[in-house]
Amino acid sequence: MVETHLPSATEMPSGLAAAAPPAIDLRNVRFTYPGGERQVLDGASLQLNTGSFTAIIGGNGSGKSTLCKLFNGLIPHFYSGDFEGEVWIEGRNAGECSVAELSRQIGYVYQDFDNQLVRPTVLDEACFAPLNYGIKEYRSLGRQALEQCGLLHMQDRYIWELSGGQRHLLAIAGALSLQPGILVVDEPVSQLDPSHARQVYDLLRRLNRDQGKTIIVIEHHAEFIADYCRDVCLVDAGRVRWLLPVPQALNRLDDLASCGIQPPEVTQVAARLNSLLATEIETPLAPSPLAETNLPVTLEAAVRWFHGLLETSAPASAGASAPVSAPASVPVFALASAPDSVRASALTSAASDVPPIQSEKVDNSESARWGQNELENQTPSNTAVLELNAVSLSYGSQRKGRRIVLDGISLKLHAGERVAVVGGNGAGKSSLLKLAAGIIRPDAGEVVLQGQPAAGVPLELLSEQVGYVFQNPEDMFIDDSVSKEIAYALIRRKLPDAEQRLQEMLRAFRLEELAGRDARLLSGGQQRRCSLAIGAAMRPAVMLLDEPTANLDMAMRGDLLSTLQALSSHVSTVVVATHDMGLVQEWATRVLVLQGGRLAADGPPEQVFADRELMARAGLMLPSLMELADRIGFGNRLARLTPASLAAAMLSRISDGMAEKVEEKSHANCPQMA
Amino acid sequence: MQIARRWLERLSLENFQTQLMGMVYGSGHAVLSRLDPRSMLIWYLFFAIAPWFISSLTVLTGMFLLLAASTVLSRAAPFILFILCLGLIGQVGWLFLLSLFFGGDAESALPLLKLTLKLSVVSLASITVFSGMDPERISDGLLALGMPATFSFSLSYGYRILPVLLEEFRSVLLSYRLRGKAPAAGRFRYVRLAVYYLKLLVLSFYPLMLATAKRSRTTVEALEVRGFSYGMKNPTSRRLKLAHLQLSWRDGAFLGGTAGYIALLFWLGYMQVQ
Amino acid sequence: MKSKADRYTLTSSQKMMIFVLSMSLYGLSNMFTELIPKLQLGPIELSVEYFAFIPLTLCILFHPLYAAIGAALGEVIFGELMLGQFGGLGELEKFLTFSFAMFVAGSMVRDPRSRLQVGTAAMTGVIIHQLCSSLVDIGKVIIGVEQFEAVPGLAESVVLVEGVGFLNDVLFSGILFALLPTLYLVPRLHGKIEPLLGMKPRERKLRPETDRRRVAMLAIVGVVLGLIAFGAESLSESGFDWGSWDSGLADRLGDGAIWVSVGAAALVSVVVLAVFMLRKKTTADRSGELPHG
Repeated sequence: MVETHLPSATEMPSGLAAAAPPAIDLRNVRFTYPGGERQVLDGASLQLNTGSFTAIIGGNGSGKSTLCKLFNGLIPHFYSGDFEGEVWIEGRNAGECSVAELSRQIGYVYQDFDNQLVRPTVLDEACFAPLNYGIKEYRSLGRQALEQCGLLHMQDRYIWELSGGQRHLLAIAGALSLQPGILVVDEPVSQLDPSHARQVYDLLRRLNRDQGKTIIVIEHHAEFIADYCRDVCLVDAGRVRWLLPVPQALNRLDDLASCGIQPPEVTQVAARLNSLLATEIETPLAPSPLAETNLPVTLEAAVRWFHGLLETSAPASAGASAPVSAPASVPVFALASAPDSVRASALTSAASDVPPIQSEKVDNSESARWGQNELENQTPSNTAVLELNAVSLSYGSQRKGRRIVLDGISLKLHAGERVAVVGGNGAGKSSLLKLAAGIIRPDAGEVVLQGQPAAGVPLELLSEQVGYVFQNPEDMFIDDSVSKEIAYALIRRKLPDAEQRLQEMLRAFRLEELAGRDARLLSGGQQRRCSLAIGAAMRPAVMLLDEPTANLDMAMRGDLLSTLQALSSHVSTVVVATHDMGLVQEWATRVLVLQGGRLAADGPPEQVFADRELMARAGLMLPSLMELADRIGFGNRLARLTPASLAAAMLSRISDGMAEKVEEKSHANCPQMA
Repeated sequence: MQIARRWLERLSLENFQTQLMGMVYGSGHAVLSRLDPRSMLIWYLFFAIAPWFISSLTVLTGMFLLLAASTVLSRAAPFILFILCLGLIGQVGWLFLLSLFFGGDAESALPLLKLTLKLSVVSLASITVFSGMDPERISDGLLALGMPATFSFSLSYGYRILPVLLEEFRSVLLSYRLRGKAPAAGRFRYVRLAVYYLKLLVLSFYPLMLATAKRSRTTVEALEVRGFSYGMKNPTSRRLKLAHLQLSWRDGAFLGGTAGYIALLFWLGYMQVQ
Repeated sequence: MKSKADRYTLTSSQKMMIFVLSMSLYGLSNMFTELIPKLQLGPIELSVEYFAFIPLTLCILFHPLYAAIGAALGEVIFGELMLGQFGGLGELEKFLTFSFAMFVAGSMVRDPRSRLQVGTAAMTGVIIHQLCSSLVDIGKVIIGVEQFEAVPGLAESVVLVEGVGFLNDVLFSGILFALLPTLYLVPRLHGKIEPLLGMKPRERKLRPETDRRRVAMLAIVGVVLGLIAFGAESLSESGFDWGSWDSGLADRLGDGAIWVSVGAAALVSVVVLAVFMLRKKTTADRSGELPHG
């Protein structure tokens, strides 16, 4: 920690004069959990102003959750560990207030918010805190909180009838019911799908802007930080390293990398393009690269910046609007007037492994690409590995009778396909996967596995041909070490080569060093690898993964892509149900779009993404990278979009604009592209 | 064995969960749920205790009929009644058979019939009250009658957490099944199958304990933050919580009607005999 | 914490966590055991009485009192109330005997890593509980069937059924669902589950603090209830039959006797209510103070 420095006056982002006491004021806090070996907080100091919207970031075990438990007095009142230092909340010394008093000033929403909901109905839950404090108007306070969160219309519903997103909103409502000035939300995105996560953040923004509440989020996802937060606080090894406004903070790429946070994709594109500009184009007319700390962090800013680049580089006659209106019929990669070498490099960088610019700092496996030869091997054979014939499924629910989940779906999956199942919430993605795995049986229609009907075959036998990996890896952990988890199925089935397969799996999924550890205590990415290894150990013909990128921060998500590659050498067909369009775009060869229990589309990702009307209808959001490409006029012309390929394509567009002024040799010795 | 097999086939946790939650919370429109929980609990208390001290067949039969009617009104789930019947047969049926074996005769059936009636009156009363009423109301009623706040909270928390626990249990069980090997066909298949499932059931609690431990921590922290322990010590909060309980003419009519009916039974049972 | 490092002390929140954990887990298991069909081979019933290993494991790993009370309450809530099996006063007795048995079992263990101690404790817990509940069951039949002596063979069959039930529960349920799983779970969970609740594992040196006042209260309530049960039993044995008593009165008082009998029934309700109130005070001392005691 060479760079350690406490936030000084100059770094305080919101330039408010400190007339009012800061919302949060930590002074040199040290804390060790009871029975804990290690000091979780080691002299943390932090000041947050009233009305700020701050993201707290930090790696695993950096102490960021512990830091937030200081705010509402859980530490030191609830956890009686060794505590030193001072905590001031809105001008009151937390050490002298009880948790009960503090919780009127501060609301807390947990990462596993489901466990925070203790009452059966929505209104009861929202009234719980005011009722406990004996406030007469508890009902109106509860209703007010529900209204703030947009849940008033469902006040009489039972909690288990709500969707995950609604439950999260309710947890916020419960925390807001006493109208505290400060709201702390722990990792809102990790347990929610993207559209629900946006909903939650929109709410937080409203609370912050309209009601002046101080919002603190613990967050991994740089895109959300960029779009919603104003300040970022980096916690490392129990200390606050810095507190900076978002644009500056997200430009500290090295610091982000050190705690496993990927900068927003648009920033990655900009960083790559920026360094390409610096090294590639050596004419005086070229647009000058930005200072390293001034890269755009939001989509809007990136679009503006790139348009600006084009304007300075383009010949006067072309104008900035030309690229935007580029015809969509231009074939993929046919960057007509680009110099050959640039074109070629754009092509290879899109299809093969490009070492990222910061390869030594960032875990770069996220950009691991599928080799050309592999793509060739994967021409689908004619025999279907898995076949669904007009399957339908409905659930009985308590209130509304039966609800149709899947409605006459027929499809065939072949060996070598990488299939993504996408669709909005409740479209039936998970049900389709469970049906294919034999976990639930269809009401009508049949599931055929490698030519054999699955009906009547017990789950234990089916699972030898179909692997199913749960959305939450922890649900798969039944034993007390990684190697036992993987070996469990092999030993139960008395496979002669169990030991050998175990070693193979440990190696393939990079779990050798973790083999003896309890899988529950691993990090998110490691848990995910372990769950995939468990699924792959049986060498099933089809592997079904439910939301493999859920709960993963961006760096671990990149890690997952390379793990999926490891998977493909053990399993012939992989099916993924996901909300993550980035994953679909980078990984899948075939996309199934579900909408209201029906198959709305089935085709390669380019084709599906090109149909914007379909995307909107099915409630799908474009990955931000694709959105960027769209907005600056690249449309669907890049098949497998990565920050590297987009940056390369942008560069070639810029060189287009100055084609006549650019000499071939300025590209010839390009170290990144060769 | 046949029965065991049918049970295993029908034993879908999902079905069970839907039925149970439907029963517990679907009773919002049942007639009895509109009564004040305190009067219901006092009513229950009478039927839970009085039968043990009554020996008149007429009175017991009359009580049984009343409770059968109230059970229908409370819209109890069929499977609950099924469990009740199984329990009664198991408890009393064997007693009867054994007393025959020890030299009793059909005569001994009469006292045992009474025992059956007593047991079923007590059980039906509890089904009526506890499945005909929203658990929230029961827990408020218990609080009003002086039960400790921890108990009444645990009751409503139990209902809240049940779907979550069942969900978690299902996925753990599924993990075991997906990676396990069920006994193949052969001799004693059903016995081996039963042993297999029982073993899974026991083993499932290992991961479940760890997962629930994590969950409890958040729950208890959140309870603290939201003033639960503060509220337990605070009489104002208790008064507020119970303010909505109000005895109405319905309760009077209900309790009075029951008392009248019981009086009639006693008159029939003990006077007419003379 | 530091000053009492040699004692196994818990904050109120940790007690509440243990309580909630034990309640949910044992409650859930109880729901299953209520639903598992019983296998009857002649008069011997092979039934899964309960998953005693859950409260046993938790009592051994954590503070036995809170785990025991939590489990007993979990049984009442999940296994009885939710399934409509709540049997009234009988449940109170079950609640007390069960929490007492589990508490004793948990307190016996000084070192959770010793298999001998864990095994002995598990079996002792089951035996204490089964012995109590068999005795109470016999009492129930005696109260429930008037002219108990008059029915030939009933007394013998009751004792036989209960005796077989006791042996079955101790040998079948006790070994398969208490002893073996506890021996399997305790060493695996020891040192792993405690940090999840933010507490130190119990170790040889760390003896759980036992609040004598509370244990005494538990014992007193148990004795009082035992006396009530015994009183009711002797009442019925002395020929105190409501039917005959009633008819005698009816001659003298005419129709008024109806009201006397109704009144008597009401009186019983009131008495029991009083018992509940009494218990409220005692439980408030025991479990009511959980989160802040």
